[in-house]
Amino acid sequence: MPNFFKQVADYAKETRQAAKFIGQGLSVTFDHMKRRPVTVQYPYEKLVPSERYRGRIHFEFDKCISCEVCVRVCPINLPVVDWEFDKESKKKKLSHYSIDFGVCIFCGNCVEYCPTNCLSMTEEYELASYDRHDLNYDSVALGRLPYKVTDDPMVTPLRELAYLPKGVMNPHGLPAGSRRAGQRPEEIRAEMEAESAATKSTDSEEEAQ
Amino acid sequence: MNPGIDLQHTFVSTLTDLGLPLGLAKLLWIPLPMALMLIAATVSIFVSVWLERKISAAAQQRIGPEYVGPLGVLQAAADGVKLIFKEDITPAKADPWLFTLGPAIVVIPVFLSFLIVPFGQNMVITDIGIGIFLWISLSSITPIGLLMAGYSSNNKYSLLGGLRAAAQSISYEIPLALAVLAVVMMTNSLSTIDIVGQQSGYGILGWNIWRQPVGFLIFWIAALAECERLPFDLPEAEEELVAGYQTEYTGMKFGLFYVGSYVNLVLSALIVAILYLGGWSLPVPIESIAGWLGVSETTPWLQVVAAGLGIVMTLIKAYLLVFIAILLRWTVPRVRIDQLLDLGWKFLLPVSLVNLLATAALKLTLPFAFGG
Repeated sequence: MPNFFKQVADYAKETRQAAKFIGQGLSVTFDHMKRRPVTVQYPYEKLVPSERYRGRIHFEFDKCISCEVCVRVCPINLPVVDWEFDKESKKKKLSHYSIDFGVCIFCGNCVEYCPTNCLSMTEEYELASYDRHDLNYDSVALGRLPYKVTDDPMVTPLRELAYLPKGVMNPHGLPAGSRRAGQRPEEIRAEMEAESAATKSTDSEEEAQ
Repeated sequence: MNPGIDLQHTFVSTLTDLGLPLGLAKLLWIPLPMALMLIAATVSIFVSVWLERKISAAAQQRIGPEYVGPLGVLQAAADGVKLIFKEDITPAKADPWLFTLGPAIVVIPVFLSFLIVPFGQNMVITDIGIGIFLWISLSSITPIGLLMAGYSSNNKYSLLGGLRAAAQSISYEIPLALAVLAVVMMTNSLSTIDIVGQQSGYGILGWNIWRQPVGFLIFWIAALAECERLPFDLPEAEEELVAGYQTEYTGMKFGLFYVGSYVNLVLSALIVAILYLGGWSLPVPIESIAGWLGVSETTPWLQVVAAGLGIVMTLIKAYLLVFIAILLRWTVPRVRIDQLLDLGWKFLLPVSLVNLLATAALKLTLPFAFGG
């Protein structure tokens, strides 16, 4: 009999605990209702992509030397490089270049390895189309530059989280010219250059002595 | 107690004064409250869908519907119009009769239950003696419709969803009925009017929630399970069963399930408000307010104000409960089917039985407080 009472007491305790936890959970959800929405109202507001954003690839036709390094470093040999050897100039002559963005995984290997820097990453990510064959970009489509979010009069550009001032979580209604947290890349570079210049000068002084 | 305004009596006597026979006058009256209640139930769908979407959005730090009407209030209307114009597909291997009957059988009892929902002393379609029992019996028709829909779709997910819905409804019907029984025992009546009448008089202190706190919780949990609201939405658990018994439905047949679920939620909230939160009665009794103001209870303008306040109070209480249900949706994760049945049979059923026994004992020992 005491065993039975103990069981009932344990059961009641567990029930109370469960009720307590549900109450705590409810208070959390209720608390969230007071917070301001952080969502980006997409077609009307857009985030400014970060500097190293890996979007659609840009291609400069005239820089390309048809070396096919991009094809070799590509995980699936995606870029199609159509060239012919021009006997007179003894050089490869590029006639067509294309990348199928329906298959591309935007790893950026081709951009990384291109010896003449004719490939580069853009900040364009709106590649939706009604036909997957439309995603196969030829050299003309690859040569187009994307429209910048900040230049679009229809769009309110918003900063990403890492580009907000310290402690700010919401990109809406940010005062103009507010600085992001931490140092900017050019500041870090200037500091490093100053440091290296200082060490160099001390080195040369030592050598002189 | 002061009967308040009686629109039916006024309407009928006006017509008989004009020379109409009594029977015809009553016949002319009958469709009016019915139509009004149907419209109210339909509008409640829009309100609760809007609330659901806006509150869900707020709980997730989103904005929610914004562009259809001011603050997105017409979003439900837009969705409804879209559903009406969608092609009505019956799967080739489905049973067409059961497939069509299913949604209708789910929705009709829910709307029929509004027969016994009172918004004031005389503001109810009909004050029948079996009142709340009618609601319990009507709500147990719904799982038949769900089973029909699940079985006739000829789809494994639908069948599983339908079976789960039936199992869930049957297991939670019993604690629900036992919780109601405790309230009925205190009132000595099944009539919803009497149940509210028993709670009014002492304002907020007289409400059943203080005398039946356990019953209130059991009823609310069981009502959520009956409505298939989120902690108990296994019949349509999208991660496991696509959409349960709704999987094969499109167009207005799907719309009927959707309508049924939201009306059922509002109905359950209204019933909780009536059973436990004093229905149309104010936190401070209207009689004492009238006394303080030095106005007679039978003053016509006071009666109109009291009736209006009564409707507003009922709706406020019901929508507060809807709000809690929506908040619970984003707080509590879905239970597993075995946990659901455990909770129903091993916890709610014994606790509600004990609650019933305790109420009976208290009724015998403290008859002045527990309706002797």
